[in-house]
Amino acid sequence: MILALNLLMLIVVLAPVVIVVWMSFTPTAMFVLPLTQLSLRWYREALSYPGFVDAFALSFELAALAAAITITLSFCAAYGLVRYRPRGQATLRAFFTAPLLVSAVVFGVAMLQFVNRFGLYNRFAGLVLAHVVLVVPFAIRSLEVTISAVPEELEWAAMILGRSRFQTLLRITLPLCARGLITAFLFCFLLSFSEVTTTIFMTGPGLQTLPVRIYTYMSDRIDPTVAAVSALVVLVSLAILVILNLLGGLHRPASR
Amino acid sequence: MTGLSSVANNRAIAPWLFSGPLLLVMGVGFIWPLVQVLANSFHPNTPQGIDFTQWTIDNYARLVDPFYGEILVRTLRISFLVTAITAALAYPVALFITRLPPRAQSLVILAYISPWLVNTVVKALGWTLLLRTNGVVNTVLRQFDVITVPLKLMINEIGVIIALVPGHFMFVLLPLWAALSGLDPALSWAAGTLGARPSAVFWRVVVPLTLPAFIAGLVINFIMNMTAFAIPMFLGGTRTMVASMLAYQVNLISLDWPLGGALALALLASTLAFVWVGQRAALLMIAGHRLPP
Amino acid sequence: MSLEIVGLTKTFGATRAVDGVSLSVPRGEFFTLLGPSGCGKTTLLRLVAGIYPANTGAVRLNGRDITHTPMHRRNLAMVFQNYALFPHLNAFDNVAFGLRSRRLPRNEINARVKDALALVKLDALADRFPAQLSGGQQQRVALARALVVRPDLLLFDEPLSNLDARLRDEMRFEIRELQRRIGITTVLVTHDIAEAFTMSDRMAVMQAGKVVQIGRANEIYRAPANRFVANFVGPINELALSRIEMVGSRRRALAAGDLSVWLPDHINASGRDDISLVLRPEALRVATGEIGTDNCYQAEVEDVVYLGGNSECRVRVGGIRLSALLPSAAAARLRRGEQVSVGWNANDGVVIGGE
Repeated sequence: MILALNLLMLIVVLAPVVIVVWMSFTPTAMFVLPLTQLSLRWYREALSYPGFVDAFALSFELAALAAAITITLSFCAAYGLVRYRPRGQATLRAFFTAPLLVSAVVFGVAMLQFVNRFGLYNRFAGLVLAHVVLVVPFAIRSLEVTISAVPEELEWAAMILGRSRFQTLLRITLPLCARGLITAFLFCFLLSFSEVTTTIFMTGPGLQTLPVRIYTYMSDRIDPTVAAVSALVVLVSLAILVILNLLGGLHRPASR
Repeated sequence: MTGLSSVANNRAIAPWLFSGPLLLVMGVGFIWPLVQVLANSFHPNTPQGIDFTQWTIDNYARLVDPFYGEILVRTLRISFLVTAITAALAYPVALFITRLPPRAQSLVILAYISPWLVNTVVKALGWTLLLRTNGVVNTVLRQFDVITVPLKLMINEIGVIIALVPGHFMFVLLPLWAALSGLDPALSWAAGTLGARPSAVFWRVVVPLTLPAFIAGLVINFIMNMTAFAIPMFLGGTRTMVASMLAYQVNLISLDWPLGGALALALLASTLAFVWVGQRAALLMIAGHRLPP
Repeated sequence: MSLEIVGLTKTFGATRAVDGVSLSVPRGEFFTLLGPSGCGKTTLLRLVAGIYPANTGAVRLNGRDITHTPMHRRNLAMVFQNYALFPHLNAFDNVAFGLRSRRLPRNEINARVKDALALVKLDALADRFPAQLSGGQQQRVALARALVVRPDLLLFDEPLSNLDARLRDEMRFEIRELQRRIGITTVLVTHDIAEAFTMSDRMAVMQAGKVVQIGRANEIYRAPANRFVANFVGPINELALSRIEMVGSRRRALAAGDLSVWLPDHINASGRDDISLVLRPEALRVATGEIGTDNCYQAEVEDVVYLGGNSECRVRVGGIRLSALLPSAAAARLRRGEQVSVGWNANDGVVIGGE
């Protein structure tokens, strides 16, 4: 009974993603079941459609930049929180994770009105800012865990041996956090790469990330081309997931 | 370097030095937009744009309308149902996973997390392919003669719920699984040797001790449901309009930002209020009045 | 017999954690499973409690076979190493847990919980949660929670290892006192020799999943069954033996360091190879003058270490080093480098080996 329930749940969770990948290999213009023949026809179609290719490049740049900025700022902030345990630590932490509670739609509306006020509508800089805010909650949580895992005694030892706190941070703490930093970076990259709700509010036709591009395409029509693009997105996510799993730190960033 | 170091060793200033840059970015990129939208929502909208010289609460007054009320009730209904279904499924699934060998555990958890890291539009596409009239589910059911007339599984609330439950399941599963894994097995053994049957061990020891994580997960789950966008858009359609779709329409199609802002803030406020009340009620109801300090 | 274990075996993958253990504990006895970590003693205890199912063998409690009885129907109680107090329940509710599982009437539960808390002198702290109690108080709550259900068997899993030294000594006697007063059959698991010796009537020493010796403290200390037990239960001087010969009715052998030694009258070492003579440090006598023991040698004092009431004196004799435990008053007269006599009575030694 319990086993059946678990299997069913797992199937339901994975079904939409699996079906998209499966359908992307259809040789015909319609999705027909059962799939007797596999074809790469729609992948050629998708890759020759500049809208998708440009959007992919934009999404990639955006995700990489947003993740890099987030990790840098969050690492510093997490270090401050973990090592100094300042008064108001709980408040700071709550503030950094607040975007989770505000949710992407409300934040999207806020961003829309904000970027328009400052002429950032449809601009890359506005998107970067929004994506950084959206992934900070996850980065700060996982980096706090990472830094806490470095014994403070190691830092004391380095400082007793004559290193300044900054040298210690750079030469001792940072290298020891390398794995956690890479994990957090990839995780933030993925979150930004798949962000759609807030981004939709902030961009016009001229500047569309891949998920938004797929969204607008799908509002128009659903055909195997969009399934092929989606399958490629799944592939990117899957690749990063595998790396994350090899690094062994996947469950922590997401668990609250 | 010595100057910086002395600052870095000052416990009063140093944490702010480290947190400063992020605080600044969050201030500009998070607080400011929210304040902006709050300010906009108290100004009237005119054909020439927002009239910043006038103040009004008219935008909020306009929300008190059966049309908006219906949308809010529908959003709450869908979100509540999804959270309730998730709550019912979470313990059986999480307990099952904790009993697997460690390697299998991380694989299964990975499987539950992975769809979350694929964007929701792709998942909406997947569910559309599965649930539409000539979709996979209806085709299979008809092939095996379970049904003759295709089931209407989308462009209604059912479709939204079917897609949201697995979509947001991991927000409860993950913290619950972590809490269950962190539970000292000796507690269950102690209860067992003291004569508690397995069901009593579950209800009187396991549940009370994992309740905070479970409820924290349900809170996030509920918020995600309240503000889901792509899934209701594609699986519910415009006839099943929810709050997030309304916010999109008012802000990007009607371009009435003061009203749109008021709408977004009302959505935020009602979600948080509902969460707060729900959380209180759940803790009081299940754990009783005696909570550990 | 209250508790009977027959041929009990438990494997985890390829390791035999408990390997064909048989033992019995009479009613009212305080029995200890003693051994180093990883010897299988905790696993054996958990098999008795029903936490793990056994692969083969049987467990009987007061005559009924409980090998396959689920743990909640065995009517025993266990005190865990970390006490396993329910953090969401206060002391009173923790103690009441087992009684509520048994669906006793409310006023009986109240009365028995009050009695149990009074028994461990915690009646004033019934409202406290585990997090608000000290380690010793938590220990008492765990004890009360176990005793209140009037179990047929009380199990302890390293119950004192999380307490500081002074409190540990106190609790040892308190638990022992309580156990005698109630007369409950008790099995304790520990790696601490002092704990085993001070608390138990009898004990079993375990090694690699097997019971290697069962007996009272003095039997195990004075007549260890093998080298492992000898080493485990206290410091020893071990002299490898060769060329055992009969001289009249007594045995003599050549020991390491070219010492000719008289052996004890009773020898239970089975094999012939790898035989040693084991001497406890307190069996040795060291003095500048005559010492009047069967075995006596000339030695040089290497070091005297003051330990309080006793002192450890290390002497070198014929190329080997022996360690003796002397009253500090006697040791104070010895000087480093001094020539002394060292010796022991043949029957204070134990011959082991062959395994």
